[in-house]
Amino acid sequence: MNEPIQYLSWIKHGVVFGYIIAMYMFLISMAVGAHLVTLFAKAYYRDEDFLPLQKVGTFLPLLILLLMPLLLAVDMTHPERSYTMYYHWNWTATVAWGAYIMPLCVVTYAFHSFYLFRPEMMVAVREGRPRAELYRVLLRGKIEEGTAAEIRQRQQKAERLWANLTIVFSFLALIYVGMRLSAFKGRVMVHSLVMVFMFISLAASSGAAFMILLGRLKTTIAPPPSPALAKQNRFLADFGVILKFALVAQLVIWVIYLIQLNFTGTGGKLAAYIFLGGPRSFYFWAFQVVIGMLIPLALVLVPALRQNVGASLAASVAVMLGAFYAVANLSIGSQLIPLTHLEWEQLAPEPFRTAFGLIIMAILFILFLGSYKILPYENPVSQKSEA
Amino acid sequence: MKKLGKDMDRREFIRGLGTTAAALGAGVVILQTGNLAQAATPIKKYGMVIDTNRCIGCHGCTIACKSENNVPEGVFRSWVMQIIKGKYPHVKNHLLPRLCNNCEDAPCLNDCPTGATYRTPEDGVVHVDRDKCVGCHTCVLACPYNSRFINPLTGTADKCDFCYHRITKGLLPACVDACTGKARIFGDLNDPQSEVSLYLSKYPVQGLRTYLDTKPKVHYVYADEAILNLDYSYLSRR
Repeated sequence: MNEPIQYLSWIKHGVVFGYIIAMYMFLISMAVGAHLVTLFAKAYYRDEDFLPLQKVGTFLPLLILLLMPLLLAVDMTHPERSYTMYYHWNWTATVAWGAYIMPLCVVTYAFHSFYLFRPEMMVAVREGRPRAELYRVLLRGKIEEGTAAEIRQRQQKAERLWANLTIVFSFLALIYVGMRLSAFKGRVMVHSLVMVFMFISLAASSGAAFMILLGRLKTTIAPPPSPALAKQNRFLADFGVILKFALVAQLVIWVIYLIQLNFTGTGGKLAAYIFLGGPRSFYFWAFQVVIGMLIPLALVLVPALRQNVGASLAASVAVMLGAFYAVANLSIGSQLIPLTHLEWEQLAPEPFRTAFGLIIMAILFILFLGSYKILPYENPVSQKSEA
Repeated sequence: MKKLGKDMDRREFIRGLGTTAAALGAGVVILQTGNLAQAATPIKKYGMVIDTNRCIGCHGCTIACKSENNVPEGVFRSWVMQIIKGKYPHVKNHLLPRLCNNCEDAPCLNDCPTGATYRTPEDGVVHVDRDKCVGCHTCVLACPYNSRFINPLTGTADKCDFCYHRITKGLLPACVDACTGKARIFGDLNDPQSEVSLYLSKYPVQGLRTYLDTKPKVHYVYADEAILNLDYSYLSRR
């Protein structure tokens, strides 16, 4: 049993899901997380001044979800055939479900965004404000009478319907990314339903962090009038509270996950070792635990720091970095365990794909900032005075 | 359809949603029942037994497979794993020829989003349709035996299909034909008089990662535990 063994001949298979797929799963979970966090916060506050932040938490995730297929396309060897998923549909495959869930998610986000911006766009068209012609095209020339608040009141049912549908599809998207990993039967690290909860907790933390970062950027680039600004700053500080609880939940889920792995035979122990002392240990301890959880948790625990712009921005960037590495550690780490030999599998350098992923992220960031200048995020002053 | 608004109440909406979901579910079940029924009752069940005592480690099967199926450099449909156990002078050489197990409950088939991976109902062999494969890598990860790879020439998933172009003409797979020690025995597992069935009934049979319940159709005889079930604690001990 304990005789020395030498491995003379074997085949190395490498890692097939690299950083680009990790980026894909991370961005989806962050986008839907930001939207869910915003919607639940809106249901809690029920405040008109929260609307600009709700628009941030709906339209920006829509942009992310729209560009995500590009990351998948660059990873596939035959992306030109991907439409075949729709009619050669294999119902037992997670990706096949994703092929329907993700586009439907985009549709619901698009309609919800449209209804969020619609009243302000109508007011802007009527009052001849900048970009009125663009808004007229987006509204297909149908301009209603009344203040933005009155128009919003009239469209309340449709807006609520799309909001509810976005909640359903956001959770389906999170289940999809979780199941995408947990479907791999032979990969002990991820073959567990914990993956779904893992992605929900990552979505909550990275989503709240996304809202803090992009909300702060919005108030800097397109600042609202001062009373609304004070309120929005308070809402953004309150996102720090959500971030705090999301980080605690994430910590708890990771502890449960690592304990579970330790009771899942030799393979499970090895999977836990990959995080704790193996090939992904540096990324786990440095990026995921210290930068991604402990430092931001320390920053958002103190109320004064939550209100501090610099501290909250630092916490949000750190959480997003940590969440990305959490997904990468799971996705790449699960493939490091060899199935046919006893050497760690290796992730081959993928400079083209990584560069492409970074370019997509940069494009997204530019689109986010551009949208602040183009779309009517803030409540019109006339609406407030009339209200 | 009624316009959503004052005309439609919540109960009506939920009822409509429920009806749609039930109709969709029933449709999927009807569509899939035919496929499942076909897959469950193959006329033949091609499989292989590998007697590791007879394998001499010449790698002839690897070369025969590469030349028969035009497998590019760096990737393999069939190959031989080799370990040496013990300390000189008490050393033993162990060999384990590997190929796709063409599992009865194949995870790669279940995870393929386009249905490019399919099973021929008449013999249970698992194939890849190169015209449907999108190269998403999912099946490569889904295979618990690392038997799949992306073919660099075609950019699609690839794996052993028991040399289907040969066996449908009554020939043996190239690796079986080339095996010097006659370690590979191929045939119909549903035929009790086939050589492979007789071999299976005569010897205690082993399989790879049987606990996963994928029902592999490649069986092993006399394989050493050290090569069949790798001791993963070795990796964390180093």
